[in-house]
Amino acid sequence: MSVELRRARRRQMLIFMLVFAVMVLLLGRLYYWQVVRASGLAQRASQEHVQSLVLNAPRGIIYDAQGHILATNVVRDDVYIEPIQFSIDFPGSYQSDLTTLVQSLHSVLPNVSESALYKDFGLNLQTLRIAIGITEQQSQRLQSMQLPDIFLEPRVWRTYPGGSLAAQVLGYVSPDNNQGYYGIEGQYNALLAGKAGSFTSETDLYGNPLVVGSSAEQQPVSGASLTLTINSTIEYMVQQGLVNTIKQLGAQGGSVVVLNARTGAVVAMAGAPTFDPNQYSTYANQTGCLGSENVYFNPVLYCAYEPGSTMKAVTMSAALDQGLITPNTSFYDPGYISFGDAPTVYNWADEAYGTETMTQVLEHSANVGAAHVAHDILGPTRYYPYLAKYGFGQPTGIADGPEAPGFYRTPDSSGWTMSDLTRQAFGQSIEASQLQVAMVYQTIANGGVMMHPYLVASIDNNGKVSTTHPQIERRVVSAKAAHDLTGMLELVAEKGLGQPAQVPGYTIAVKTGTATTQGLSSDQTEASVAGFIPASNPQFVILVKIDRPQATIYGGGAAGPLWQAIAQQLMWYYHVPPDAVS
Amino acid sequence: MDRLKHRDSGSKTALPKPIVAAKRRRQLYPFFFSMGPVALSICSVLLIGLMAVLYLTQVGQAVTANQQIQNYHDEQAVLQRQNQDLAAIIAQEQSPNYIAAKAHAMGLVPEDPKAVKVIVVKHLEQMLNSVQNNQNIQP
Repeated sequence: MSVELRRARRRQMLIFMLVFAVMVLLLGRLYYWQVVRASGLAQRASQEHVQSLVLNAPRGIIYDAQGHILATNVVRDDVYIEPIQFSIDFPGSYQSDLTTLVQSLHSVLPNVSESALYKDFGLNLQTLRIAIGITEQQSQRLQSMQLPDIFLEPRVWRTYPGGSLAAQVLGYVSPDNNQGYYGIEGQYNALLAGKAGSFTSETDLYGNPLVVGSSAEQQPVSGASLTLTINSTIEYMVQQGLVNTIKQLGAQGGSVVVLNARTGAVVAMAGAPTFDPNQYSTYANQTGCLGSENVYFNPVLYCAYEPGSTMKAVTMSAALDQGLITPNTSFYDPGYISFGDAPTVYNWADEAYGTETMTQVLEHSANVGAAHVAHDILGPTRYYPYLAKYGFGQPTGIADGPEAPGFYRTPDSSGWTMSDLTRQAFGQSIEASQLQVAMVYQTIANGGVMMHPYLVASIDNNGKVSTTHPQIERRVVSAKAAHDLTGMLELVAEKGLGQPAQVPGYTIAVKTGTATTQGLSSDQTEASVAGFIPASNPQFVILVKIDRPQATIYGGGAAGPLWQAIAQQLMWYYHVPPDAVS
Repeated sequence: MDRLKHRDSGSKTALPKPIVAAKRRRQLYPFFFSMGPVALSICSVLLIGLMAVLYLTQVGQAVTANQQIQNYHDEQAVLQRQNQDLAAIIAQEQSPNYIAAKAHAMGLVPEDPKAVKVIVVKHLEQMLNSVQNNQNIQP
């Protein structure tokens, strides 16, 4: 081989080796990026192109007994600005463009001042929310104006079309976390909230999911819808009547509960003061239950009070049921009664009634008669079982959540004395919720059978409907005892302190209550009237309680007129024919 | 061909192989027609180009469909939102406080219960579907 050829071959080999080396290098690099770093790079690519969205579940709707919406959902926009992006997009004419933008925004959002907007745009932030929950008209105007570096973020809001109607029954939902608080919203939050879903897919440049790419979807489960036993019309009438009565009497507050006498369903439940769940945060500092709880609590369920003379029906029913008295059993009432083992009990204003029947004890609302029955006729062993049977000292079970159980001392309690027994006979030394007291009258109205109170008539969980059926809690007293007591309570309305509650054309059975609070002066009362209508065929139980009325402090005078107005409206609304034929 | 045979009579059996090998170099199996390397390259490029165009067309259609679907979703969201708003408006206008306010604005006043008179009709026969059967009383 010639020298030149050899040299040529050597050069050829060198070039070949160089090319080979570069190829090996490239292959090695390829291996590094495609194999060694593959998973990390694929993950980064997924993060860029694969988006996972949370699909919020629509919250369930709450209806009243007639199917009218009490709570529903709407979508409202929050308005955001991008201060940093604005300064990047308009570097040259920043001030003039900013002025134009601020003026445009202020024209749509008058609640946001121009000075605040100038300040917000001056902040070194990527995004800043300047308005929340704007109206639909405002959203449409902003969208049509197509303002730069402004965007709208939709958010679901809970809305209550009735305003403060049944507010303390419903509770509210916080828009920040879509959680329900208080009332039905809080108690049934898990059921109402449903279950969020998710949607994972590859997205395009604008963030829209691609149908051609891979995707995975978990459908959201809508929240269950609830139908309550509340009648909106009656609820409204009760709330309005309560507010007007409180205003007229100069009272601190009040509450009303209306039950179906046969089933225990709650027809209306109202408290005052109350709140508007559409603007719940503005009521954060307001209190109810005579200042002991915040205004969001339902006073009928959560505020225990000393029922006063409305408890005399319990005392009498216990004695009637055991055959120890009859409505005509009499005794002598000198205005006071002394006991060897308990302090003397006096009638209101030390009134002496002389010889009176048990019926007249109720007509006069005589403490002496009630204490006599509890102490001398019943005794602790025959009295306290009836308090337990009527459900005192334990929650009614209407709410799965917290409920005021009430309290009273029994012979087994530390510190109990016979003074407790004599005072409990006329509703002092015992605390009960308004619902517990109402259930006593429901029991009497229903022939001695206590029903389980309930507020939710049915639950529709995505097509699966479960209906609440009336449930018997227990028999508390015999039908005869209930009948006898009804007759006695009718006379309370006819001749006794319950006369202000009389409803023309109807027989009613009522008992008034004027409870004082230990430590407070005797003119600071909790005035109440409890009873049912019509007495001959009870349909509704009504309990009205007015807290610390000033114009008149007595149960009949303060709560009676409102009781009468509610009863009359109920009879008209439900077309119950009059039963007082005279 | 004969000259070739004559010249290389020592390798008579090896003679067909170069011809076959040469032929095979010029042909491509399993194609049923013969194609030279230039033609093959051009055809390959054309075929790959055609497939690419087809693929891109499909992707383009999918993207268009995707955009349409997205538009429908947006429209559906807007309609759902409007539906919710309308339901809320209906609920508000059905609420007793709204009706009471409207009635008040129209000059209507609540009835006076004292003005209601109860008329007693003795020996009145009850109707078949009487309200005594609790037709209007809720459970």
